[in-house]
Amino acid sequence: MNAQPLLEVQGLGKRFASRAGRDSSLWVIRDLSFSVADGEFLTIVGPSGSGKTTLLNMIAQIDVASGGEVHFQSESAPINDPKALNPGLSCRIGYVTQEDNLLPWRTTLQNVLFPLVVQGRLNDETRARAEMLIRTVGLAGFENHYPHELSGGMRKRASLIRTLVYDPPVILMDEPFGALDAQTRTVLQEDLLKLWNLGRKTIIFVTHDIGEAIALGDRTLVLTRAPARVAGEHKIDLPRPRNIHGLLTDPKFGELYQRIREQVQ
Amino acid sequence: MTTHDSALDLAQPSPVKWRQYAVTVGRIALAVLLLVAWKLGADRAGPIYVADPILVFDRIVTDTMSGELIRHIYVTLRLSAIGFAIGCFFGIVLPFLLRPLPRLTNAIEPYIMASVGIPKYALIPLFILWFGIDDAPKLWLVGLLVFYPVFIAIFAGIRNVDRRLINMARVLGASEAMISREVIWNSLQPLFFAALKIALPRAVSATIIGEFLVGNEGLGFMIEYSRQNFDTTGVFTGIVVATVLVLLINAVLVRIDHRLNAWRPTDRDMEL
Amino acid sequence: MASQGEISATTDQNGGRIGALIRSRSDQVLVLIALFAIWQACSFWLGTYWVGSPWGTVTRLISGVLDGELLSHASFTLAEAVIGFLLGGIPAVILPFLLRRLPIVTAILDPFMVGGYGAPKLALAPLFILWFGIGIESKIALVAITVFFIVYFSALSGIRALDTKLVQMAQVVGADEKDVARHIVFPGAVPYIFTGFRIAMPYAIGGAVVAELISANRGLGYLIQLSAMNFDTTGVFVGLVATGIIVFITNMAVNISERRLLRWRPPADARNQVGT
Repeated sequence: MNAQPLLEVQGLGKRFASRAGRDSSLWVIRDLSFSVADGEFLTIVGPSGSGKTTLLNMIAQIDVASGGEVHFQSESAPINDPKALNPGLSCRIGYVTQEDNLLPWRTTLQNVLFPLVVQGRLNDETRARAEMLIRTVGLAGFENHYPHELSGGMRKRASLIRTLVYDPPVILMDEPFGALDAQTRTVLQEDLLKLWNLGRKTIIFVTHDIGEAIALGDRTLVLTRAPARVAGEHKIDLPRPRNIHGLLTDPKFGELYQRIREQVQ
Repeated sequence: MTTHDSALDLAQPSPVKWRQYAVTVGRIALAVLLLVAWKLGADRAGPIYVADPILVFDRIVTDTMSGELIRHIYVTLRLSAIGFAIGCFFGIVLPFLLRPLPRLTNAIEPYIMASVGIPKYALIPLFILWFGIDDAPKLWLVGLLVFYPVFIAIFAGIRNVDRRLINMARVLGASEAMISREVIWNSLQPLFFAALKIALPRAVSATIIGEFLVGNEGLGFMIEYSRQNFDTTGVFTGIVVATVLVLLINAVLVRIDHRLNAWRPTDRDMEL
Repeated sequence: MASQGEISATTDQNGGRIGALIRSRSDQVLVLIALFAIWQACSFWLGTYWVGSPWGTVTRLISGVLDGELLSHASFTLAEAVIGFLLGGIPAVILPFLLRRLPIVTAILDPFMVGGYGAPKLALAPLFILWFGIGIESKIALVAITVFFIVYFSALSGIRALDTKLVQMAQVVGADEKDVARHIVFPGAVPYIFTGFRIAMPYAIGGAVVAELISANRGLGYLIQLSAMNFDTTGVFVGLVATGIIVFITNMAVNISERRLLRWRPPADARNQVGT
């Protein structure tokens, strides 16, 4: 295991100018610092409105930061300069957003292949990988369906494997299973762990669901309310591979849950 | 840890002002460019194909002073107005007449929709055949062209009027006529005005085109007559005056629209 | 809840809905028969000068098709409409794309485009006839300029309706400017462009016909005008029917291509954009 963290966030801040005037601008995130090691599954919990999406947007370089630094593989990312933003950091940071953002005019398979097409990496091998991923998440048979013909859960799965198909070293996930019903959510969580086990990518997973954070992660960060910073860090030493159903009865799970919940208040 | 101001967070007005300035300058420049291109085109292509803008301007002035241009404009506008009134009248009255006759309405609806498909201008020769060579065929043309958008707007509007409002009015004891007047008419106003914005300029255009084919007065006559005499300056004069006229009408309608409906949130997508 | 002013399609009985549909269709057929009967009666009483006759029109229509004359005029008009449509429509679609990264230029052009849209293009017919003669070119030019302004604004609004979330997604997975234009902007604008096509098509045919009425030696407008000048009312009606058929065909062509290319669209009720 590398001693150097793969991704490092230092003193990150984001301020929105309020309409009343420049002095009364609102700091959504202030002085946020953490790091992620290679191959680690990091989960982040925080109350709603604690700027979790904004945090991910800044790391992915979709939004510009008001301060702080982000280092990826010891290389500094230009997050403070709106003109120098490099969304996705040249395909090294993948981002599974809250909305599935599937292209409505492409079929499921075409959507999953989309990153490969724009990166010029579409060949037999990558195409086979795409098809394998489609099968793994249970979308076999729906390759030629358009997004409007798919259910919400299916679209979510498609958007998930669209990011996985091009294998970025770091993957950000913004409450990807939030809008789904409990059953589908559990299935997708298991699918995610299954897929993660295949490649041990580095994942930063944001959620408001503490149970989900514990079930999936190696480590959980807790954020405060705005202006958000890291309130605490919890190591999840539950054994892998995780058995999500079995976790509810595991006493360690309950302990962690309590601890984290107290901090989230 | 220090945090510094990000340029985005502080809204600066000066970039925006600069842009507006550039746009205005650009527009003026383009207008001047077009006029210059026109003049050059006239010099190069000869008097038969492109009329000299200066001569066109001259002609406008002389014809205005002699009253001839005024006469033509008046004839065209007068006919447009009458045709517009006729078309509007039937376009408004018919849907209300049909309102209590749903079975009849449903029976004739496909034919009305089908008749939209025939270009009304193609009917001009028929109208000339039927109604002679005076104002009548032109009035029929304009009337029809105005009728359709108004009729469709009012008709669809009546259909979509909030049923709840109507039911409430009924509960309160209003007569059908009163319902028509208060609830339906008021709900229809924006749709009606939208149809007017289309129909009024169209009435003027239709008159002009009718005048291409029949009659001996009006802007359309002026344009076509000039063409047949190879009087290109006359053609250009007529077109310029006709275009300015219609654009003016459009502009006035837009103004009135904004005044009347200033309180409505505009849906940009619906603008055109 | 069926109320007074509505055809009852919500009755509780099983056959109620189908019964209503049958009744409405047979009403419509009845009206058609009535229209024909009235037409025939008029031609009886008023004479064929005024209204021709339904039977005469039908026979002339058929003979016109069989001997090819009607078809030749119809195809002439159709060609004018289609070629002019392409000539005006294609630049109208391309221009907003080219100007996408130059909002200042678009803003500068805006009043000129609005003016062009509002100006009566058909008033240019005599000018184009002066320039290009009475052949097909003048008609094509008129159709092209009419179609251009309509499609320009539709395409422009399609490009402006861009979903930035999709663009961000594409950028994160590595799309560059060209990819975004090709995979996001263009497909997103297509529904709007087709709306423009649908609106422009009747204007295209109308423009062709108007130009033919003024001065031509072929085409349906020419046919109508010629028949009228010969007091041949039946000929006029045949021309009108043929024109209506051309309009129908072209509309159908646009609708079919739209349906083909826009298979991916969610059904109308799920849509909340101006795609209709």
